[in-house]
Parts: sequence; C-alpha cells; structure tokens
Amino acid sequence: MSRSCDERPAGPLERPGGEVVIALAGNPNVGKSTLFNALTGLGVSTAHYPGTTREISVATARAGERLIGVIDLPGSYGIGGTAEEERVARRALLELAPDVVVVLLDPTNLARTLFLALEVMDLGFRVVVAVNLADEARRAGVRVDCARLSDVAGVPAVETVATQGVGVSSLVEVAITAAAAPTPEPRTYGPDFEALVEPLVRRWESEACVPLGLTPRAAALGVLEERHEIVEAAPESVRRDGVRIRRAVASHFGESVRVHVARERHGLAGLIGEQVVVRTPRRRGLLPHDLWALTTWPWTGVPLVVLVAASIFGFLFFVGEFLAGSLSALWERWAAPLISAGVGSVAGDGVLARVLLWGFDAGIEASLAIGLPYILTFYFLLGLLEDTGYLNSLAFLTDRVMHRFGLHGRAVVPLVAAAGCSVPALVAAGDLPTRRERLIASTLVVFVPCSARTAVIMGSVGHFLGWRPTLLVLGVVVIVWLAMAFALQRLIPGDSRGLVMEMFPFRRPSVRGVAGKAWTQFREFLFVATPIVIVGSLVLGGLYETGWLMALSGPLEPVVEGLLGLPAIAGLTLIVGMLRKELSLQLLVALAVATTGFAGASLAGLLSETDIVVYALVNTIALPCISSVAVYWRRHGWMPTLAVLGASVAIALTVGAIAARVVPLLGLQ
Amino acid sequence: MPSATLEEYLEAIYKAGEHGEVRPGQLAEALGVSAPTVTATLGRLQTRGLIERPSGGVALTTTGRQAALDIIRRHRLAERFLVDALGLSWDEVHDEACLLEHALSPRVQEALETFLENPEACPHGHPIPTADGEIAEQVGAPLCNAGSGAQVEIVRVEDEDGELLSYLASLGMFPGTAVRVCDVAPFKGPLLVEVGDSRYALGRDVAEKIVVTEPGVPRSRGKGNRR
Repeated sequence: MSRSCDERPAGPLERPGGEVVIALAGNPNVGKSTLFNALTGLGVSTAHYPGTTREISVATARAGERLIGVIDLPGSYGIGGTAEEERVARRALLELAPDVVVVLLDPTNLARTLFLALEVMDLGFRVVVAVNLADEARRAGVRVDCARLSDVAGVPAVETVATQGVGVSSLVEVAITAAAAPTPEPRTYGPDFEALVEPLVRRWESEACVPLGLTPRAAALGVLEERHEIVEAAPESVRRDGVRIRRAVASHFGESVRVHVARERHGLAGLIGEQVVVRTPRRRGLLPHDLWALTTWPWTGVPLVVLVAASIFGFLFFVGEFLAGSLSALWERWAAPLISAGVGSVAGDGVLARVLLWGFDAGIEASLAIGLPYILTFYFLLGLLEDTGYLNSLAFLTDRVMHRFGLHGRAVVPLVAAAGCSVPALVAAGDLPTRRERLIASTLVVFVPCSARTAVIMGSVGHFLGWRPTLLVLGVVVIVWLAMAFALQRLIPGDSRGLVMEMFPFRRPSVRGVAGKAWTQFREFLFVATPIVIVGSLVLGGLYETGWLMALSGPLEPVVEGLLGLPAIAGLTLIVGMLRKELSLQLLVALAVATTGFAGASLAGLLSETDIVVYALVNTIALPCISSVAVYWRRHGWMPTLAVLGASVAIALTVGAIAARVVPLLGLQ
Repeated sequence: MPSATLEEYLEAIYKAGEHGEVRPGQLAEALGVSAPTVTATLGRLQTRGLIERPSGGVALTTTGRQAALDIIRRHRLAERFLVDALGLSWDEVHDEACLLEHALSPRVQEALETFLENPEACPHGHPIPTADGEIAEQVGAPLCNAGSGAQVEIVRVEDEDGELLSYLASLGMFPGTAVRVCDVAPFKGPLLVEVGDSRYALGRDVAEKIVVTEPGVPRSRGKGNRR
C-alpha cells in the first residue's frame, strides 16, 4: 500500500483549529443547527465537496479557557448509504478526524436516532450522545434516563434543550473529557456474525497499517459494509477476503452484510431504547390527528394551502412594505446624511463622490431595504410553518402534482417560498435529496415571480392599465413557468429518489428557536449578497454618472426597439433591474418624469399601453436579481448559472416580442 | 435465438407482467425508448409468435414466456457470478449483467450453476429460473395496494441498485419489518406509514417497490432461506 497510516486524503475542507475538535451529527430536525449556533458565534465558514451541495460548517469557538473546533455535519439518518448527505457526513468524519463526535438524539424517537450513534461508534469514533428536545419530550410524556443510557450504551449521555441553551456547556465539558478517553470497546453483533468477521479483523491487524487512522475492527466492518472510502483504501488481498466473507454472511443470514448489520444495529438501538425511555401516560390530545386529516384531505387541504399562502403574502405585502418604508425613512434621516458627509470629506462633490454614493448609500440601503423587511420576515414565517409541522402535510398533499415536474412533495416548500423571495427559496431547494431535483427545483424557483417582480407588475400594468391586463401578464408568466417545468423534466437526466420523508407530529412552534434560525440564515444572505450589491451599484453608478449609460443604449437599440418596440432607455432599466427588480420600475418612472418634465409620476409620456405590458413581462421573466444569481451560482456552479441566465433572457425576449405584436390586436381597454 | 434487443423486451414484458397488465407505455418507460420504437419492436416479437396483443396490451405467449425466463435466468446467474466470484458490489452488477447475459450459452450456464453451487436467487433476492423454465413463485403484493389501516410486513424491496433498500434500512425498514399503513392519499397520492415510533410519507413510486405480505397472510419465506 502506498499511503502511510497517518496520511489522509486532502479534501477541500480544513480541520478547524482548537485543542479539541468536536463533530455534530444527528438526524434531520433534531435541532443540530440550533446546537451549532449555540456553540459558535460569528466566524463560521462553510464549504462543500465538489459535486455535492450539502454544506459543512466549520467554526472555532471558546469553551471556558479552551479553544474548540466544531464541525457541523449534514443531517442524515445514517452514514453508510449512498445518499448524498450520508456520503458527505461519512467523508467529513473520515477526512477531518474529529476527536469526539456528539450525536444528537430525539427522546421521542430514541431508538431510531440511536442508530446513527451506533454507526459512528462502529467507525471507531469516541461518541457523546446529547438527548435534545428534552422539554418537548416531557410535554409528550417521554423522559430519558440519561445515567442509565450512559451505562447501557457505554457512552456519556447529556440532556440538552439547545433552543434555550440548557445543558450546552455541560455537553461541551463532557465532550472535551471524552475526547481524551481511550477509544471504547467495539460492539459485537452476535457470535455467528463475529466468527465470520474475525478473520478480516486479524487480516487488518497483520497489515503494516490501517488507512484513515481506523481501528482494525472499524476497517473490517467498513470493507464488509462496502463503505466506499474504506474499500478504496484497502489493499487487494483484503478486498478479496472481504468479498469472500460478504458471500459467507449472505449465505448464512440470507441477506447482505449491509442489511444484516443495519438490522442488528436497529435491534440493539431498540433494546437500549426500551431500557432507558420512561413513558408517563398522558392524556393524548386529539388535535394533532385532526389537524393531519384537515391538512391532507384534498377538499380541506387545498383551500387551506391557498389561505396560508394568501396570509403569508398579505403579511409580507403590508408588514414588509411598512417596514421597508420606515427603514428607508430612517435611512434618509440618519444614515444618508452621515454617509454623504463622509463621502464628501473624502471625494468632494464631483462625479466620484456621486458614484460612491450610489454604492455606499443607495447600495447598502437597497440591500437592507429588501433584506430586513422581506427576506428576514419571510425566513421567520417559513420557519414558523416548518416548526409547526405543517410543511409535512403540504409535502404529502402535493406529492402527486410535483411528480409531474420530476419532483416530489418536498419540493413544494421552495416553490411556495419563491413567490415571496427567490433567495430563501433557493436555500430551501438545496435540501432536496438528489442533484437532479435540486437543479430542477432551483431553476423553477428562479422563474417564479418573487414579491418584488409581482410589485413591478402591480405598479406598472396594475396601476396604469387596470386588472384585466394584469391578469393577462400573470397568465403568461404562469404559462412560461409550466412550459419550463415540463422542459426541465425532460432536459435534465437522471431519476428522482421518490418521496421518503419522516413525518413529525404537529407541535407548538418555538418563537425563540425560529427567530434564531431565521437570523442565522439571514446573516448568510447578508454576507453573500451585500458586497455584490455594493459593487454592482458602484459599477452602475459609474456608468450613469459619466453618461456612458446613455451611450450603452445605442447597441441595445436593435433588440429593445426593433424586437420589443420599447424605447432604448427602457431596455437599460431592465438591466438595472438585475440589481433589484423593483429598482427598474423606480428608475423608469424617474426617467419618464425627467423626459416628459412633469412630476405626475406617469409612464404614459414614455411608454404606450402595449409597451407597459411588454416591459412588465420582460422584467418578470428575464435576468433574476443579482442576489439570487449569487446564491444559485454558489450552489450549482457557473455552468448551470449561465444556462439559466441565458435561457431567461432568450425566453423573455421571445415572449416580449410576441406580446409586442399580439397585444395591440387584443385591444386592451 | 432472438436478438439482444428482443431479449431485453421479453425480460421487460415479463417483469412488468408480474404486477398486472402490461401496456406499451410502461415498456417505453422501463426500457428508456420512444413509444414508436416500442410499437415497431412489439410487431417483430408478434411475428415471431413470442407475444400477443390482446386489446392494445402486451402478453407473452407460452414460447415467449419460456424465452423470457431463459434470459432472466442468464441475467440473474450473471449477477450472482459478478458478485460472488468477481466481488463486484451488488448495487453495480445490474448493468454489467445486462451486457453479459446475451453471451451465455446453455453449456456455460450449466457450468456457472455448478461453480456457484446452484444458487436459488440473484443478489437482490429474486429467484433464478431453472434450465427447464420453472421459477419459484414470488409472494407478496406492492405496499401501494394496501389500504388505510392495513398491518403488513415487508417481504422484499424491488430495487436493482440496492440504493433504496439501504436507505430504507437506515430508517429501520427491512424485510421482516412490520409496517402499519395510517393513511393513503386519494388520487394515487403518497402513503403515510408507521414503523415503530416513527411515521414516514412514502411516494407512490417508492411504495410500488416495497413488496409486503398481504394483510393476514403470514410470511412464507423467512429470514435465512432467502438465498
């Protein structure tokens, strides 16, 4: 074997600094990210392996006197399979070699969540289990005897309520102590199985070294369970022995090693669960069951979806608009004078100063004015829905419809979210199980008109032409979306895994937990998008203030005037719209006022009725805003991003060109 | 002997027939070809007397069934050989066996059977037909046929690459696991099932691949005698 024992394959991820490195593992929805946020503050870096979208967050944190490194693995039910989150979690464990792995358990579902802990232990890691959501379990009449769990499972167990920070510091202490302890004795899975495995363990012991720093037993199980990374690193002779033993196990037990060991682990987890879970009989509320029936029976479920969606948008429309208005007023009153004084003292009051104001005054304001009122509010509302368990019912209800788009029920969440804002929707689309589904869902998200684009349609067509043309525009947008959905399903190869989704009971959402999570997601958006928006604004400001923007309208003329029949200057505002979709309309109105010279804030001086329809269509379909492009690019790479940008422009121009010729024939008024 | 393409079709028709009536559309989907191609090839099969077309559907004739079992036998023997003798992993052998199956003469099949110590089933648990064209009957029905409230037990997972089987295994669903169907969405929607303390939503496509005992019928093929 060419590789020495200590050498690990170099991955794109760096092992975090700190005296002790702790990895967090757990099933989805047990509060892993909440715990990660409770442990770490700012300075979190995320990265992903090439070809995968599951991110791994790495941070360094202070625990009392010490510095600890924390790795947040993707939420998964196991680390053995071929599903992406499992592969990524396993690879990160093997490559980053944490000193101790904290596995989060759900007390109401202890046995199932313990399975993951057993898998991690079988890889030879030191494990500490955190029994999280303890408060919620108590409400459901479930208590876990942590001392007994510690005894029976042979690993330290700590009770935590991560949402309130309860037990977090003692968990860290226990983990630090455990990291220094010797690796625990491995578990065995019955004499017959062990007798078959034994020769392979001996075989590894006789090898000069075991790869990836594994124990001989962990390496033997890894080869037998066909863990890709371990089989790859094994010498030929070990692989051959592995094949022979796999065959022997299969003929003895009548099933493959993978299924057999999974069965044994589940059995063991079940036994441990029976010994440590104490159930106090509780009056079971009828409510959750009734809610399930109400939300998934089509005749009540579908109207409910419409109602929920309508209230979210209503809330966003009124509360978001109010917040945005107040924020802009505050900005004008306090921040803008300060910034312009600052810029003035550095750059005087020439062209340079005005360009800088575009970037640092208008740019930052733009980022905050959509960010805080719309995106943060939306994250919060979506988190609230997720926390109640309603999104489960929604996925169940819509699974069949989603199949027509090559997706399944889980994809409904990003698609609904997209009508609010593409950015959180793209983040949600990143959680779908296969790459194909993520790509289809993300692309469809970009083509759903977000609230800003809807606002432009309302503010132009709705405001100036009335409701019938508005419905026409919205109808065309829906048709384009459906066509896109059917095309994508045929264009993107591969298969979707189908819906396999754990269903959580309805519960009362924790406002504090949801707010914390919304803030963390929002922070990521702020850091990704703000610099891009500032740079974009600076470039745009530079073009505008130097007068080159007008010069640029020349080359656009054949397309904008010839194809769409719009004045060339309107074409420019469409490009500006990439910064912020509603900015395009603001600029257009400003230009209309400037050209016609009266302050009636009317588009009539600049655009005909047909022009307004064409403009609204093109603005809605073409070029998603720069923030969503940034998120899309980060998740899927530059090829799909360019393809989406290109496709959106091509479709928008086609639809716009057709509209420019057909709308006059309809006679709108 | 029919050509490799025709053999693929016979195999697909036989497999689709295990779940009921076969329509040409199903074959187009299973084989990844266009509907006109399927129609043309079905015509060729019909002229050779391998299939019949009762009212637009597709059914194997006795000769066709024998030919289909023959190709399935070669496929499953090839898979067994790739896993047992060459050590390929069982989630990658399906495609390889599709290439090998067309090249196995009766002489080689016999030699393989002896070498593999007369295997009864392929690595995925499907029975291997005998040289005389007999095949052990498969028990069970797809989970998606179970009604709301049914209490069933998983018999096997119809999954050639093993990915679904191992994913379900990590959730605690394997052959032998008891499953309660809590809710079935109307209009061919998903199923809500309960396994131990957990509830899962399974899409119709996933539930089609999970074969369970029919409610009230005990499982006849126990753990340990599957191979």
